[in-house]
Amino acid sequence: MTSPAEQEVLVSARGLEVHFPVRSGGALRRTTGALRAVDGVDLDVYRGETLGLVGESGCGKSTLGNALLRLVPPTGGTVTFDGLDVTAMGRKQLRELRRRAGMVFQDPFASLDPRRTVAQTVSEPLEVHGLHPGRQARAARVRELLELVGLDAGVAARYPHEFSGGQRQRVGIARALAGEPDFLVCDEAIASLDVSVQAQVLNLLRRLQRQLGLTLLFISHDLSAVRHVSDRIAVMYLGRVVEVGPAAAVAAEPQMPYARALLSAVPVPHPELERSRQRIVLRGDVPSPARVPSGCRFRTRCPDVFEPCPDVDPVLQPVGSAPGHLAACHLHGVVGAPVQRAEPGAPVGAGDPAS
Amino acid sequence: MTQLPAPGATPAAPPPAEPLPTTTPARPRWRETLGLLARNPTAAVSATVLVLIVLVAVFDETLAPYGPNEQDPSLQLQPPSRDHPFGTDEFGRDVFSRVILGAGTSLRVGFLSVAFALVVGTLIGLVAGYYGRWVDDTLMRLMDVLFAFPAVLLAIAIVAIRGAGPANAILAIGIVYVPIFARVTRASVLGVREEVYVRASRSVGASDWRLITRHVLPNAAPPIIVQTSVSLAFAVLAEAALSFLGLGPRRPNPSWGLMLADGRGFIEQAWWYAVFPGLAIVVTVLCFNLLGDGLRDVLDPRQRTLMAGGGR
Amino acid sequence: MTAPLLEVEDLRVDLRTPRGTAHVVNGLSYTVGPGETVAVVGESGSGKSVSVLALLGLLPERTATVTGRALLQGEDLLTMAPERLRRVRGPGVGMVFQDPMTSLNPVLTVGRQLTEGLRAHGPVSKAAARARAVELLGEVGLPDPGRAVDRYPHELSGGMRQRVVIAMALANSPALLVADEATTALDVTVQAQIIDLVERLQAEQGTGVIWITHDLGVVAGIADRVLVMYGGRCVEDGTVDDVLERPVHPYTRGLLGALPDLATADDADLATIPGTPPAPTDLPAGCVFWPRCPVRGDARCETEQPPLAVVGAGGGELPHRAATWCAEGEAS
Repeated sequence: MTSPAEQEVLVSARGLEVHFPVRSGGALRRTTGALRAVDGVDLDVYRGETLGLVGESGCGKSTLGNALLRLVPPTGGTVTFDGLDVTAMGRKQLRELRRRAGMVFQDPFASLDPRRTVAQTVSEPLEVHGLHPGRQARAARVRELLELVGLDAGVAARYPHEFSGGQRQRVGIARALAGEPDFLVCDEAIASLDVSVQAQVLNLLRRLQRQLGLTLLFISHDLSAVRHVSDRIAVMYLGRVVEVGPAAAVAAEPQMPYARALLSAVPVPHPELERSRQRIVLRGDVPSPARVPSGCRFRTRCPDVFEPCPDVDPVLQPVGSAPGHLAACHLHGVVGAPVQRAEPGAPVGAGDPAS
Repeated sequence: MTQLPAPGATPAAPPPAEPLPTTTPARPRWRETLGLLARNPTAAVSATVLVLIVLVAVFDETLAPYGPNEQDPSLQLQPPSRDHPFGTDEFGRDVFSRVILGAGTSLRVGFLSVAFALVVGTLIGLVAGYYGRWVDDTLMRLMDVLFAFPAVLLAIAIVAIRGAGPANAILAIGIVYVPIFARVTRASVLGVREEVYVRASRSVGASDWRLITRHVLPNAAPPIIVQTSVSLAFAVLAEAALSFLGLGPRRPNPSWGLMLADGRGFIEQAWWYAVFPGLAIVVTVLCFNLLGDGLRDVLDPRQRTLMAGGGR
Repeated sequence: MTAPLLEVEDLRVDLRTPRGTAHVVNGLSYTVGPGETVAVVGESGSGKSVSVLALLGLLPERTATVTGRALLQGEDLLTMAPERLRRVRGPGVGMVFQDPMTSLNPVLTVGRQLTEGLRAHGPVSKAAARARAVELLGEVGLPDPGRAVDRYPHELSGGMRQRVVIAMALANSPALLVADEATTALDVTVQAQIIDLVERLQAEQGTGVIWITHDLGVVAGIADRVLVMYGGRCVEDGTVDDVLERPVHPYTRGLLGALPDLATADDADLATIPGTPPAPTDLPAGCVFWPRCPVRGDARCETEQPPLAVVGAGGGELPHRAATWCAEGEAS
């Protein structure tokens, strides 16, 4: 693999924010606060790579995936797709984005319209974008797509309820690929499948990625699966990407305490290893995204919390030995914006990588 | 045809990993629905009876042995006999013929008013449910206001403003049922709108129009269909009530409600005068209700899987 | 070896379905000793959950037929009078299911639900029960148990709820704890907390645990013994090391091969098991796995059901057994 620096960026987020208003009850529904689902994400996805996005439920990884495609409107920051500003796109450009970026959803039982045949579902993008015009051309393309994902073309006339979960997920993938996208977001695409079926879908995604030269954002809470398919891994916590880097480096030498705890908690099917392993058990629960701690957002649970953590919001900085391995943690030098407080204190000197 | 310009889409297709479904033939959804409905005896009988009633209404003039206003002064208030199976009324008219000829009026009012409510109510509910926010608030508050009036009172008011007659009865009953359809539709749309497959369609670039017509409405339809059936029952009753109050179709044209109203005055001398039109109303209403129940079961996907023995 | 806590013998469960009789569990035998953790592993439809629901009398009586024996401390759970079984369930067996909300009443406070369980099985004063509830919540690691006791389930996070359910299951110090996919819906860090908790309590109280899961990683961490289920049968059992490190049955091997492995990550494709599990209404003759089996090395595979026989080295107290015809040639 070439080093990330030489690669072309396909999708890029800068300071991306998705805040949902928190409303009070009652008739007036006043906005009382904000749920910071995605809160200042900087992330690049390189053309042709698979980027794994991991994190626990509620960390905003799914919202981030949706915001990159403007399926959820960002409330701040920018997203660019192949150089174009996604947040500023007009109707026509947005339609083209929908063609060039596909999405595979978690629950294959919910993501297919029960009243439409496989052919109708798979050909929807073709109709929407006027691809392969003409009935026969569309039908031929649908057959081709079904075969591409390992389904028999003869199933086109069937309804989703006749299929198993794995087969449905293949249909979902075929739909996402119909517009010949460059970019595919897989949002927990294997989470509701049985282990042996997960393997089939993972293999399929990897094969498609190589064969079609896709760029893949693989969102999952399953670190083993993410490690298996990804070139790079990004770890999210409470709306922020806190560590990102080459998959092997992040998996083997996580640099940020949260990433370390997360990886240490992943069970592996080796009894010997499990017995000898030192698991980092975190204290307490993830804070609510409506009340994000000041400074480093992980500090309330961090085993290594120290002086600057509440006062300086850390930014991603190079860590470890692998190129392109970044983490947002003061343990690697206090870098970041000092927290604005009511009384002007003396925040720790920012912008000074001590190490 | 074979040279489709799909980049890299010349797959070394892996062997299909799972046996593909071959047992269940692909059948259109509505035929499956009809098949399931046929297996529900109550619903099947109700549907059959309703078809018969509609046929009677269509071929009323052929089927009725007498004209609607054919009077025979010598045969006033005669009990049921071979010549007059439902007896005669105070003008010596044949009640059997008038029940047959009244079916058209009663059903027409029922169908047209429900059709009106269905179209307007569904549209309002769809727009409110799909677009939400202030559109939803405005439309549904409007419906609440309409809903707050007692139904018959509202119908009476409308007829009072616009005058009696079948057209106004249809409009009145239709308006009364608009909020029900709006609410049912909105509730159903709210559920469907959040379905993943709707999001999935949006993710491939489908327009609002496409989402609404191809995904939201078809999937939101079952409760609306059930409501239609139930409302038809109520509409037939409402027509009867309006006619009974003298606000619906006017004499001497026969309608079931009108006959019921007129027969009431003779209930002690001639029970058949009111009972047979009443019976016609009861059977029709009952059948619409039972059909509605049957549809509710058949259109429920969980029930469907169970009954069809297919699915996951 | 001490007397087993639970002894299950030839457990069979048939369920009547619209599509015919489903043979969901077909002759399952195992034991759980005090302080021992037995993991029951399988994919959806393998019968792993039904097999324990049957033990606890939690299957609908109208459609389920349960046969066999299940001795809990010498008493047969399957022939027990319903009233007696209800009493056994609290103090004898604690249960934790995947979705904590199914075990919690949304309109009662956590404390109320805990004390109800305590007071149903013995005369305890209200104040004493409440004190014990606070203590239990503390034991399962709920922060600030004195306040948590007055909370409603919806005010707690998923991990906290599951801890409350575990506290409820442990309220009467049961001899046996049944955890059915108890951590599946939780995040890995919370899962680690829960597993930690169960292991600690087990060490303190000598509770026997049946841990039902599809996650072989969790199994490796928590189980002493593993039972792999497929098509309602146990296809392989043995110590956790034997089954996970030296699997014999082609299904177990397939399952392990299909697992992306964080520890030994490589770039190769994952192994897959072709096809889908059999429908319990229509189980294949012979070895239940043969239609999907990549080996199929024996003529008997398709006709004769292989017995669960000792494989590999030695019997001993915890023999490694597998139900397959290919064991002789394949076992390492």
